[in-house]
Amino acid sequence: MNGVGAFLFGIRWQDIMDILINSYILFRLYVLFKGTTTFRVMVGIAFLWFFQRTAAALGLVMTSWNIQGITAAGALIVVVVFRNEIRSVFQTTSFKAILWGFPGTSPDTPVEIIVQSIFSLAAKRVGALMVIPGKDSLDDLLQEGIPWQGIISREMLHSIFWVGNPVHDGAAIIKGKRVSSVGVILPLSKRDDLPLNYGTRHRAAAGLAEQSDALVLVASEERGEVVAAKGRQLMVMRDRAELEKMLYEHLGKPLEIDDAQKNQKRNLILAGALSVVLISGIWYGITRGFDTLMAMEVPIEYAKSDTSLDISETSVNTVKLHLSGSSFLLKSIRPGQVRVRANISSSQIGKSRIPITLEDVTLPPGIMLKKVEPPFVEVVIAKPTLKVLPVQVDWAGKLPGNLIMADVKVVPEEVQISGKSDLLKAVFTVYTKKVPLGDITRSGRMTVDLVLDDPSLNLTPDAKKVTIHYVVQKRTLTSDLHGEKE
Amino acid sequence: MNRRRWFLHTALVFSFLMASGTAAAEQDPMWPVPGGVVLTLERAVMCESIEAFLPKNQGVIFSISVGRVLCFSAFSVVPRETVIYHNWYRKDQLASRRKLTLKPPNWSSFSGIQLREADTGPWRVDITDERGNTIKTLRFSITE
Repeated sequence: MNGVGAFLFGIRWQDIMDILINSYILFRLYVLFKGTTTFRVMVGIAFLWFFQRTAAALGLVMTSWNIQGITAAGALIVVVVFRNEIRSVFQTTSFKAILWGFPGTSPDTPVEIIVQSIFSLAAKRVGALMVIPGKDSLDDLLQEGIPWQGIISREMLHSIFWVGNPVHDGAAIIKGKRVSSVGVILPLSKRDDLPLNYGTRHRAAAGLAEQSDALVLVASEERGEVVAAKGRQLMVMRDRAELEKMLYEHLGKPLEIDDAQKNQKRNLILAGALSVVLISGIWYGITRGFDTLMAMEVPIEYAKSDTSLDISETSVNTVKLHLSGSSFLLKSIRPGQVRVRANISSSQIGKSRIPITLEDVTLPPGIMLKKVEPPFVEVVIAKPTLKVLPVQVDWAGKLPGNLIMADVKVVPEEVQISGKSDLLKAVFTVYTKKVPLGDITRSGRMTVDLVLDDPSLNLTPDAKKVTIHYVVQKRTLTSDLHGEKE
Repeated sequence: MNRRRWFLHTALVFSFLMASGTAAAEQDPMWPVPGGVVLTLERAVMCESIEAFLPKNQGVIFSISVGRVLCFSAFSVVPRETVIYHNWYRKDQLASRRKLTLKPPNWSSFSGIQLREADTGPWRVDITDERGNTIKTLRFSITE
């Protein structure tokens, strides 16, 4: 019981958020893809993954490898084969609906008008072909067509299929309350078991129904009957009630509204609960399932509020961290995720012993710190050293051939820099930035910046620039400044 | 003529490496050498060549196209035979060290370096006594 208590007590708010967010993602995937082939294949892949993990845990190496390969291939196949279905789910759904929407909240298709119209057309021996898409994308199956976007009415459907109308031979695509396009060419079925009395219109209805989850309605010109094509079935509708029922089922709105809504709500609650349980299980497996220990050597970083302080010596440069967590998380640790940052802001100048505490160690979520070796670090803190150095001009380019730079004077001649004593030992001169010679034709002066190669060294604020006074002479003359001639 | 005679009495000691010198021929300090005697540096400059025992085209910037650069030093008082060093540094890194002998009563000498393309940058020559005490520092640049 202590273990369970410790486990429950150890759950952080981040863990709960983690589970809830992922459960919701899983739940949304269920809502969006429910009833599609993609969803069924995805469930299959999930089972394969579960078997693979089980096989691996049981030490069935080859089985585990094989299932792993099949799972990977399956995932690839889902993306490639069902790309249209996946695309249609996201394309036909708004962003808000992807995040929050539930089935049945989309605009209602006027079932009664469709039923009345198609039976009326059939009774008048007017041929008609209507497509009510399901979740599958029909983009790759349909050809031609004229955009229509008319709100459905009996009169409009009659006019579309009126024999004098140029588009009456094609199909009308019905999406929600509108006829989205007319005169659409459907793929013909290649089945040879269709009744011989079925013409091109029936064969087109069967062709589209076979290749998608759309419901296709046909009003027969010759026999005056209404046929519904769904999947591989072609069903003659005996009466309007039968077609109404079929349409409502196809649209996800069964006739018994109350019961259906209750069922749907119950299913959604069940799916939500299952999502939470499933994700909790996966989360537990990843974060707590296998308690593993690992030691890791991590370099120590020092944090100090006074940047002028100089750490001249440390007892160690790295510490060994003993970490625990699931093997999955421990193996997933990337460089930089684990850091040790010792704070020396409160330390005095001289030798100090800094303890490495839990607060000084940064760890990724789910990883626990068991022990630090050594538990402290000794540092010697010194004030920065000052050094006065001469300034030299760093000339670049070339003077005109007839000139010579006879003399240069830098003001000030020396500047003070500060930094770590060991770094200062190797610095003897402060140089200016590169000063171009190309434009110099006569004596003059200029102000230039000083630069230090090591960024940890600092110039005093009042000595970041110097003035150069330079003397240029003609080369043809003797360049002896003092005219030392006999 | 006195000047020419003075140079005739001095021996020129060379090396084949290069240098530049400050153009200022200021009155140089007297420099004690071991034994209580004093070396007096009369002049130290960087130049392109030596002609008639005098530095020619002295300056603080020398182009690689010049070929070589020399450091000329003249001591007006040399109490006894001793040595000095011309230490050549490129960006504070020792590039060459030349040992030069000075003989009484006065002596001039020079050292030099041959210029290569990789030699561009700021240079200095430290003239030191036999114990390494700096007598004079000459700063110059090698450019394209």
